[in-house]
Amino acid sequence: MTPSDKPFESIINELQDKTKELSCLYSIEECLNREDFSDDNAFNFIINTLPSGLRYSNFCEVKLIIETKVYTTPNFIETPWHYTVKLHEDDKTIGKLSVYYKKGVTGSDANPFLDEEIKLIKTVGDRISHFIHHRNLQSVFEELQSVKRGNELYHRGEWKIVLDMFRKTDPNLFASILRKLLHHLCWKEVEGADKLLALQTIELKVGDSKIPIDENKPMIRRKINTYDEYINAILNLADENIKDEQILAKIQKWVKEEKASGLVKAVESLDTSLSDISDAIRKYYHLAPEKFKLSAATVKGLRVTLLRRFFTEQLEYISIAKDYVKLTDFYHLIDNMIFPPGSHGKLGGKSAGLFLASHILRKSSEDCELLKDFKTPKTWYVASDALMHFMHFNDLEETIEQKYKDIDEVRLEYPHIIQLFKNSQFPPDLVKGLSVALDDFGDTPLIVRSSSLMEDQMGAAFSGKYKSLFLANQGPKETRLHALTDAIAEVYASTFGPDPIEYRAERGLIDFHEEMGIMIQEVVGSKIGPYFCPAFAGVAFSNNEFRWSSRIKREDGLVRIVPGLGTRAVDRLSDDYPILVALGQPNLRVNVSVNEQYRYSPRKIDVINLETNDFETIEMDDLLKKYGEEYPMVEKMISIMEGNIIRQPMGYDIDFESGEFIVTFDGLINKSNFIQKIYSIINTLQEKMKTPVDLEFAHDGTDLYLLQSRPQSYFDVNLSDPIPKDIPEDQMLFTANRYISNGRMSDITNIVYVEPQAYAEIPEKETMLRVGRAVGRLNKILPKRQFILMGPGRWGSRGDIKLGVSVTYSDINNTAMLVEIAKKKGNYIPDLSFGTHFFQDLVEASIQYLPLYPDDEGIFFNERFFDVTENIFTELLPEYKDLENIIKVIDVPSATNGNILKILLNADLDEAVGLLLPPTDSSGNGREISIYQNINSDANDYDQWKWRVGMVEKMASELDGRKYGVKGVYVFGSTKNASATAKSDIDLIVHVDKSVKMGLLENWFQGWSLCLSEMNYLRTGYKTDGLLDIYYVTDEDIENNDSYAAKITAVTDPAKKLELKKLL
Amino acid sequence: METKEFNPFKMAQTQFDGVAKKLNLDEGSSDLLRNALREFHFSIPVRMDDGTHKVFRGFRVQHNDARGPSKGGIRFHPQETEDTVRALAMWMTWKCAVVDIPLGGGKGGVICDPHNLSMAEQEQICRGWARQMAKNVGPLNDVPAPDVMTSAQHMLWMLDEFEVIQGAKYPGFITGKPVGMGGSLGRTEATGYGLIYTVREALKEMNIDIKQTTASVQGFGNVAQFAIELYNEYGGKVVAVSCWDQNDQTSYTFKKNEGIKLAELRSVTDKFGGINKTKAEELGYEILDANMWIEQEVDILLPCAIENQVNGETIKNIKDSVKLIGEGANGPTTPEADAVIKEKGIFLIPDFLANAGGVTCSYFEQVQCNMNYYWEKKEVLEKLDTKMTHAFKAVSDLSRKRKEYMRDAAYIIAISRVAKACRDRGWV
Repeated sequence: MTPSDKPFESIINELQDKTKELSCLYSIEECLNREDFSDDNAFNFIINTLPSGLRYSNFCEVKLIIETKVYTTPNFIETPWHYTVKLHEDDKTIGKLSVYYKKGVTGSDANPFLDEEIKLIKTVGDRISHFIHHRNLQSVFEELQSVKRGNELYHRGEWKIVLDMFRKTDPNLFASILRKLLHHLCWKEVEGADKLLALQTIELKVGDSKIPIDENKPMIRRKINTYDEYINAILNLADENIKDEQILAKIQKWVKEEKASGLVKAVESLDTSLSDISDAIRKYYHLAPEKFKLSAATVKGLRVTLLRRFFTEQLEYISIAKDYVKLTDFYHLIDNMIFPPGSHGKLGGKSAGLFLASHILRKSSEDCELLKDFKTPKTWYVASDALMHFMHFNDLEETIEQKYKDIDEVRLEYPHIIQLFKNSQFPPDLVKGLSVALDDFGDTPLIVRSSSLMEDQMGAAFSGKYKSLFLANQGPKETRLHALTDAIAEVYASTFGPDPIEYRAERGLIDFHEEMGIMIQEVVGSKIGPYFCPAFAGVAFSNNEFRWSSRIKREDGLVRIVPGLGTRAVDRLSDDYPILVALGQPNLRVNVSVNEQYRYSPRKIDVINLETNDFETIEMDDLLKKYGEEYPMVEKMISIMEGNIIRQPMGYDIDFESGEFIVTFDGLINKSNFIQKIYSIINTLQEKMKTPVDLEFAHDGTDLYLLQSRPQSYFDVNLSDPIPKDIPEDQMLFTANRYISNGRMSDITNIVYVEPQAYAEIPEKETMLRVGRAVGRLNKILPKRQFILMGPGRWGSRGDIKLGVSVTYSDINNTAMLVEIAKKKGNYIPDLSFGTHFFQDLVEASIQYLPLYPDDEGIFFNERFFDVTENIFTELLPEYKDLENIIKVIDVPSATNGNILKILLNADLDEAVGLLLPPTDSSGNGREISIYQNINSDANDYDQWKWRVGMVEKMASELDGRKYGVKGVYVFGSTKNASATAKSDIDLIVHVDKSVKMGLLENWFQGWSLCLSEMNYLRTGYKTDGLLDIYYVTDEDIENNDSYAAKITAVTDPAKKLELKKLL
Repeated sequence: METKEFNPFKMAQTQFDGVAKKLNLDEGSSDLLRNALREFHFSIPVRMDDGTHKVFRGFRVQHNDARGPSKGGIRFHPQETEDTVRALAMWMTWKCAVVDIPLGGGKGGVICDPHNLSMAEQEQICRGWARQMAKNVGPLNDVPAPDVMTSAQHMLWMLDEFEVIQGAKYPGFITGKPVGMGGSLGRTEATGYGLIYTVREALKEMNIDIKQTTASVQGFGNVAQFAIELYNEYGGKVVAVSCWDQNDQTSYTFKKNEGIKLAELRSVTDKFGGINKTKAEELGYEILDANMWIEQEVDILLPCAIENQVNGETIKNIKDSVKLIGEGANGPTTPEADAVIKEKGIFLIPDFLANAGGVTCSYFEQVQCNMNYYWEKKEVLEKLDTKMTHAFKAVSDLSRKRKEYMRDAAYIIAISRVAKACRDRGWV
C-alpha cells in the first residue's frame, strides 16, 4: 500500500499519533529543563507523561528505576506485555525504564508495542540517562565551587572526597586528573613520584600484580598490587607533600581543562575539518553550556582559534572579536553552515563583519537603549572551499589559470565561463546542505552574496567586484533549489570575471589563492502587490566624505537612504538620487528649496517581482499609485507636494491615486529616532572596532536589520592620503586646510583655471555667460577625469553669475575635481557653494570638491605658476580667443617637463596639497616611497604616537631642572608630528646650562631610555638599544642657531617644549 | 577697479536713464526714480540648533510706492548685495506699472545660505525678519512674496509672526501662500495664460487668425504647458517643444508636424518638464537637437525656458516665417539678438509684459485676502485676461504711435506711469 492508497482516515490517525508523540516528548523535555523541579518531581512527571505519547494511554503503566530509587505510575502492576530500556551513564547501567500494557491490547500475546512507540520509549530513556549524567557532572562541579568558596573552612584531606566522587561518576576524568596530579608531583620533585610515573599509564596496570618494584626504595611502603593501591599511593604522596588548598585549586583547573579539551583539540589541530569542529562544538555546547565556566585563558584561546578557523586570520579582526564573541555563538553559527566533507574553508569577510558587528552591538546595548531592537536576517553560509569542491567535482580546475591570461581574453571568455559554471553539477553533499537551508528559509526571497576571503587582504576593496544575486525563491522546492544552485554557480563564476581579475592584478593580489564563501540571506522586506522589498534600505558611514555645508563635520557621518532594496543606495546612481543625511546634523539637508527637494528625490525603486521571479527597477510613482496603501511606513517616507509647498502627510490625508508625492524620508528623519539609532550604531561600531565603519541596513516597516558591516577603509576612496612635509615650493601648486574630504584622485594632466580677478572684472553679463559656455566646451574636449576646474567663488551660480562661473552639471561632468577659490574681496571672504548647485550630481559621479582659501594664514597658493605657465586655451578653443585672459588651460606635463599634478587629500588632518610630481610609476620609484611615508593612516601607529607623547611628558615632569642644570626639554620629529610607529625613536633636544653635570644627566636619561625601550618591546615586539635620541644644546648654540638648536625656534615644524618638574 | 565690475544696479540705472532721457523727465523725478525711496538694513539674531548665536543681515528696499504698496520677493542668498536688491526692487516697480496694477516695487532678503541652515533655523530667520520689519510692511504698505530659496513655507512663518505682532489676521500681508491658506486659484495657469492673452491680442492687431498659426515652444515647464494649453484652445498648433533631459544632460526638441498633443506629452513628462525621450518616440515624436526649436518653419516662437536662449548665434537660424516672439521666460533674448529681431521686423512681446501674468495673479491674491473672499478659478482667469489685454494694448499703441521697439515701449509706459504718480502726489 503506497501512502496515497491509504484511506484518508488512517492518514489522519497516523498524524494524530505523531502529534501525541511529539507533545509528549516536548513536555518531558520541558520538565527536565525546569530548574525548580527536584529530581523526584521530574521523574514522577516523566512516568506520568510518557503514557500520553502511546496509543492506548489509558491501559499503560510505567516504572522507572534509577539506582536504588523506584518510581511507578499510581496503578502500576506488572504484566507480560512490556518494553524496557536500560539507562546508562558512561557504559554503566544505572537503571531502567519499563512500560507495561495492562492487557493485551492487540488481542494477542505478541509484542503490542509499535515501532514508533519503542522509539519513543528509547528516546525518553536516552534523555533520562543524559539528564542524570549531566546532573552528576553539575553536582560535582557545584561541590567544587562550594569548596572553592569555603576554602578556609575546608577540612584537611577533603579533596580526596571530591576525587572519590569523580572516581564514581566519571572514571575517565578521574584517571586524567590522577595522571595530572602525578605529573605535578614529579614536577615538584616529590620523591617517589617518578617511580610511580615509571609505571606508565594507570589503565595498563589495573589488576596487574607483577609490577616490577624496586624493593630498596622505602618510600613506597607497600607493594602496589592493585589499581586501588596505585591510586592510594599517589594520593598519599600528594597528601604529604602538597597543601590541601593547592591540590584543590589544581583539581579544579584540571577539571575545566578536561571539559574543554575535546574542543580545544579539535580546533587547534589544523587537520581537523569543519565538520569535526562543529561536532566538537556541539558536544561542548551540550555538556557545558555557558554556565560551565572555563578558565579565562582557555576561553579566549578557544575563541581566537574558532574565529581564525571560521572567519579570518586577520589579527586586527581577531583581537577585537575575541572580546565580543561567546563560544556558544559559534554553536548557532554551525547549524547554518554548509560545507563539503573534510572542509577547511572559512566563511569570508562579509560574514565575519556582520557576525562581529552584531555581537558588538548586542553587548553594547546593555548600556544604550538605542542599540536594542535591531535584527540580522536569517543567514546560511557556504564555506569557502566549497568553490574548489564544486570545481573539482566538475573538472573545472583549469579555470583557475584564467587569472593569468590577458585581460581582454578574460573578458572575452567570461560569458562562456558563466555558462560553463551554470551547467555544472553541484556535489550531492552541497545540494543536500542547500536543500536543508531552503527548508529553513521557506519561500521568502533570498540574496546570494559573495563573501570573499580576499576582502581581508590588505584592506583591498572588493566591494561590488563580485556578484550578489537576488532570488525570488517562489514555486515548488525543486525549482527554488535549482535557482539557488544556479545563482551560486554564477557568483562562483564571477571570481573569474575580468573586473576582479584586473583589480587583483593592479594590486598584486593575483597569485593569492582566491576562495569565496557564500552567504545566503533572506531578503528583508514585505510583500507590496506583486513585489517584495524592504520599506527602505541604505548605507551609513562613520566618516562623511561629502560635506555640503561647512557646518557639517567629517565625524557627523553620512547615510544614503533609498526606498526598496538597498542596491540603489550602495551603488552610485546615474539616473536617480538617494536621500543623504549627515547623521550628526540631520537638520542640515542637502536639498533645501522645493525645486531641489523635488529634483533630487529618489524616483525609482528596486524590488523583487514575485510573479516573474525577477529583480526589477520600477517607478516609485507607479508603485505608490497602485499599492501605496500596502507600503509599510509609507507615511514616514513620503511628503506631499502641493503647489509650492512640500509637507508631511497627516492622518489619513494620503490620496495615493491622485496626490503628488516625493520621497523625502522627512517623517523618518524628523519624527522618529531612526537617525539617532543609526548614528549610535555606527558610533559604537567605530569606537569598538577602532576604525571608521560602513554599514548596510534595511527596514521592513517593523524592524531594522543590519545587513553588512566593515571598516570604511575597505573602500580605498575613503583612505586618507599621507601629506608629505617639506616639499619645495616650486613643486607645490596649492595647499588647503579647510573642509577636506578624502578621495582618490587620478593623475591630473590639465588644469582649467578661471582667473578670479579677471572674472570679477568682466563688465557685462554676456561675457560671463561666454566663460560658462567655454568651460562647457573644455569639459567635452579635455581627457575625462584627468583635468580639474579651478575658479572663483561659486561654480554654477545662476542669478548672480558674477559670484561664480555659470555652468550646469553637464558643463563640468567630466572633471576630476571642482575647486572653488575664495579670494578676499576688500575685507570679506566670499562664501563658497560647496557644490550645492549640483551637489548630489557630484556625489553620484565621484567628482571631488575642494575649497581653497588662498588668503588664509599658512596656506600656499602658487599664483605665479598660473601667471607664467603657457596657456593653451586659444589653441583648444580659437572661437573664444577673447577670453584667453580669463580662462587659462594648462597642460601640466608639457609645462613642467613631464610632471603631472597630484592632489593628495587627508581628511584626518584636514589637509590637502596639490603637487607637481613625476607620474606614478606602477613599479614604484624611490621618490614616491620616500615622499609617501605613511602618516597617521594606521590606528595602531596612532597609539604608538600617543604612548610616546605621554611617556616623554611624564619623563620631563620628573626631571629636576635645577639639580641637573637643564633649562628646557623639547620633543621633535615623529613623536611630535604624530607619525611615530613602533620602530620610531623619540627625538629630544635638551637645553643645558653651563653648570650641567653631564655624567649625572646622561645617566638619568639613559635609565629612562632603556626603560622605555623595554616597555616598547613589551608593547610591540620591537627591540632597540634605548628609545631616546638626545641632542644637547647650550645657550650658545641657540644664539648661533646651530644644528638642533635651530629646531627650537624654527618657523616650520618647530620642536615642542615640555614641562619640567614643578619646583616649589 | 571696482567700477569695471558688473553691477546690476548700475545697469538698471543706465537702462532707466535711457528711457528718462526719451521721456525728458525732469531732474527731480529722475533722481527720485533712479534710487530707492526707502531702504532698511537690519540684523536678525538667531539661536542656532547647537545653542550658539548667529546674526544674519536682513534687507528691504522699497523702491517706489507712489502707485500703491510695494510688492516684491524675499531672497535668501549667501552673497546678497545691496545693489542686487536695489536693482530687483526697481524692476518690480516697472513690472507692476506696465500691467497697470496699483502696486509699487520692492525687494528684500537675508544674507544666508539655506544649505547651511536647518528648517528650524530658517523659521527663526523668517520670524526675525517679520519682527524687524513689522512696522514698515503690511497689506497697505509693503507686500512680500517668495523668491530665490524661499517658499510658501517661509511666507507662512512670516505671516504668522506678523499676525501675532498685529494681533489680527492679515492674509493680504504676503503672497505666494498655498490655496486654502490665503492663496489664489489660477496661480499655476497665470503666467502661461497671460502670455497667450498677449499673443492673441498681438495677432489680432497683426490681422492674423490665431487658428491658422503654428508655434514652436522652448521649455515644457509650468509656463510652457499652460501657454500651449490655452493656445491650443484658441486653435493654434504647436509643432515643436524643446526641453531639458536630466539624464543626458542636454536638451532635445520634440517635433510632430500635425501638432503636438498636450495631454499625451504631459503623460510622459516629469514635474520639471522633462519629457521621457523613449516614450515620446513611441508616441511618434521626432527627437531633434536642442536648438532645433528655433529653426522651425512657424509663425510664433515662445521661449519659455531660461535666459539668453535667443542669442547672436541661434537667431541666425530663425526662419523667415516667424512673425511673432512672445517671451515667456525672463530675459530670453540677448541685445545682439534684439538687433536682429528689430531688423527683421518680427513683433516682440517683451518679457516683463508677456510674463506679467504671475505678478498680476499675486495682486489678485492680495485683493482676495484683503476682502477675505476668494474667487473661483474662472473669475481669476477672466480678470487676468482683462488686465493683460489692457496692458498689452497700451504698450502696443505706444509702440505703433511712437515707432518704438516693443521692449522700449514697455519701459516707457511703465516709467511714465510711475513718474506721473509721483508728480500727482506732489513729490517732485
